[in-house]
Amino acid sequence: MSTTTESTRKSMPSALTFERHAKCSATKARASTLHLPHGDVPLPIFMPVATQASLKGLTYDQLRDTGCMLCLNNTYHLGLKPGQEVLDAVGGAHKLQGWDRNLLTDSGGFQMVSLLKLATVTEEGVRFLSPHDGSPMLLTPEHSISLQNSIGSDIIMQLDDVIATTSPDHARIKEAMERSIRWLDRCIDAHQYPERQNLFCIIQGGLDLELRKQCCEEMVARDTPGIAIGGLSGGEAKEEFCKVVDTCTSALPDNKPRYVMGVGYPEDIVVAVALGADMFDCVWPTRTARFGQAIVSSGTMNLRNKIYAEDFTPIDEGCTCTCCRPTDQGGLGLTKAYMHHVTAKETVGAHLLSIHNVHFMLNLMGNVRQAILEDRYPAFVRDFFSMIYDGDKSKYPGWAVGALRGVGMDLLAD
Amino acid sequence: MDRENTRSVNMTFSVLGSSGPVLAPRVGKLAIAGRKALATPHYLPVTSRGVVPHISQDNVRNETDINALYAGLEDFLGKHNKSPVNNISVDANESPLRKFMCASPDSPLILGPRRFPAIACPPVNTETSIAISTSDGYRQLPGEQYIQTIRKFKPDLVIGLADMVLGKPPGNKRRGKMVDRTHAYTRDALDKLYGDAVPEAEKCPAGYFAPILPLDNTQQTLYLDDLETEFRSRLAGLALYESASLSFIPESLGALPRILFSDPSGPHEVLREISLGADLLTLPFIGVSSDAGIALDFTFPAPPQENGNEPIALGIDMWSSQYAKDTSALREGCECYACRRHHRAYFNHLLNAKEMTAWALLQMHNFHVLDLFFQGVRESIQRGSFEEDVKVFNRVYASTLPESTGTGPRLRGYQFPSALTNQPRRTPRVYGRLDDALKKFQDSQSSVVTPDTDADGLEQHGFAFKV
Repeated sequence: MSTTTESTRKSMPSALTFERHAKCSATKARASTLHLPHGDVPLPIFMPVATQASLKGLTYDQLRDTGCMLCLNNTYHLGLKPGQEVLDAVGGAHKLQGWDRNLLTDSGGFQMVSLLKLATVTEEGVRFLSPHDGSPMLLTPEHSISLQNSIGSDIIMQLDDVIATTSPDHARIKEAMERSIRWLDRCIDAHQYPERQNLFCIIQGGLDLELRKQCCEEMVARDTPGIAIGGLSGGEAKEEFCKVVDTCTSALPDNKPRYVMGVGYPEDIVVAVALGADMFDCVWPTRTARFGQAIVSSGTMNLRNKIYAEDFTPIDEGCTCTCCRPTDQGGLGLTKAYMHHVTAKETVGAHLLSIHNVHFMLNLMGNVRQAILEDRYPAFVRDFFSMIYDGDKSKYPGWAVGALRGVGMDLLAD
Repeated sequence: MDRENTRSVNMTFSVLGSSGPVLAPRVGKLAIAGRKALATPHYLPVTSRGVVPHISQDNVRNETDINALYAGLEDFLGKHNKSPVNNISVDANESPLRKFMCASPDSPLILGPRRFPAIACPPVNTETSIAISTSDGYRQLPGEQYIQTIRKFKPDLVIGLADMVLGKPPGNKRRGKMVDRTHAYTRDALDKLYGDAVPEAEKCPAGYFAPILPLDNTQQTLYLDDLETEFRSRLAGLALYESASLSFIPESLGALPRILFSDPSGPHEVLREISLGADLLTLPFIGVSSDAGIALDFTFPAPPQENGNEPIALGIDMWSSQYAKDTSALREGCECYACRRHHRAYFNHLLNAKEMTAWALLQMHNFHVLDLFFQGVRESIQRGSFEEDVKVFNRVYASTLPESTGTGPRLRGYQFPSALTNQPRRTPRVYGRLDDALKKFQDSQSSVVTPDTDADGLEQHGFAFKV
């Protein structure tokens, strides 16, 4: 099934060091540091998504102040705007957006799922219509890597054949998994700067655990600096999602960072960390901010709701972001009432809530990491769920209880 | 040069340099107890729902020199004219409005009844109230409620109610009414806020700026007479709505600071307004330019013109593809946040990608350009070379701001008067615009030997290589 044999395979230099600090004694959670060309990233980490080289209205300093060390750009979008020619002329995406910390780019493969009705997948690549002007385009693994080489991101992703995990067509899922391996080989061959950009492979195989195991085995053999678990967060049941992550992490080596793509909600992340994953990304915190949704320790709240019109408490009590921190601590001391006043009415409403939501996610990851370092992650997870469900264990989601039990932790224990 | 001071309860305005009490450019200092003093002439930053559009409060404080804020009360009123600001808990002398909108304690806060520019409201003003546009629909703002709100919100300065007709010129009869009503609103407010019947401890600390109507002076003689005499001691300043009003301010009111609520088309008109004696000016064109993707680029005094060339453009249209690979700053040597951090290629990209960051950064740059412009104006007036500098500026620079070629952010109803019925869409549809292309795509596929979208089939027929 693979197009290259072990002996002829191009050796894979790495532009990162993965330093492991601690492993949870109960679950598979791990705390580590990822040393990348543009600074050190504490893992586990959430990466905010600056799709088109800007994080939804935030300035460089506002993003930096949330503590973000690594954020995402989207190859597919940057390939359309501003395009490879401009990226080459400007000197890459770091220089384009004035960001001197780390960048990760996805390959554009995910857009196959989200633009499926416009895309056709062949062994050569993906043919699709430009969403900007409707002209037909072809994205091949070589194109994707070439674009990501021009972008100059610190972590680049292979092009993979993404199909919805919910697809009933098992043959197609198998084909996509096998093709992703062949495409990985083409990506490795096409990659021009392995000494400064880290290529991550993407494990595919839908919800079929056997396919996932096969894929892990084949891809691990190719020795990429990091490994991503792809094709998830496409509407599959949470139980299935957890099984896939759990299966993959067990089949993966300990000495490489593991990135679960497109995840997600705080609960999903906290559970996936227990299953042994290290890196996460999702547009949800910033997208939901634009709709007035704030992420808080007790879940989420829609600040457009009238009940907040005269609520003069901070968005999240105790939060240390620029918005929530009181004025005597150098923050803005913003209230829910003021956010209600500007949300969805002024662009600044989106900026402020994005700052809060991104800060919340990064702070959550900081707490997750600290708990693992101090080997009290199970207790942390129990507190976390207790906050969200107000201590009512009968409301805890079954998938989380089941998944955590699978890695040796009882969420329902006191 | 004369020195004259105006002192209200908490505000002092000193004229530092001027060639005459009226109709002449002047440099002044507006000092309010507890706030940073404002050097005039200066622009007056106008907020929308408590925020300088596109610039979040932390950026206003850390990355700009924005040092005063105007807020329209209508932005803070909802159903039944209730306001969340009324219920926020504050320290004894703290302004609940300032706290609500998270404004810096250093910036003077100026409250008016309406946003600026305000949209025309279908309901009409009455003898005791004016029509406003709240987030909950059009309402009447009674003069009595406005007075109570001034006491409650504790702004530093307040703009008095005026009976204005927006969107169309007022008829002859209406003009008379405008004067009578404004006269009455002003008398009532001054009595209730500062009158002899008000105990000393309860006199309102906010400085009151009485409106001067955008009418001929002959039409408002009685009102102006009262401003000069009966009302004079209670006034902190004057609020004007067109530059022509500057020409008939009586000399006895010359020492009062003047806020000009006008919509100048660009810096040339701003200079004309300053030359007529405006102290604080609203400049909607700053935000309009940012929305349009235009980076302002002018200085005062103007740079020496290279021998008789074309007039210099007042701004750069960052939509233009000529900047796609340009890694220079918006303006060479500019020290604004946007120019320190970013280059033109990024702005061009952000605008094309419709990213909000474009407007945030352009807005910071454009405010900075105006900061320097007004600083240059003040120095020029003090040097005594203002008139000559203006002449050179008018000669060197193009007379109008550049046309925008792109689209700006989505406008909200309160920013834009409601369009007449059967108007074309303001913004094109975003969803479904690929449907036509999709059909063509499918049609083109059907002409291929294998219309099936199966990957292997297509590869076999070489479809994938034929892009």
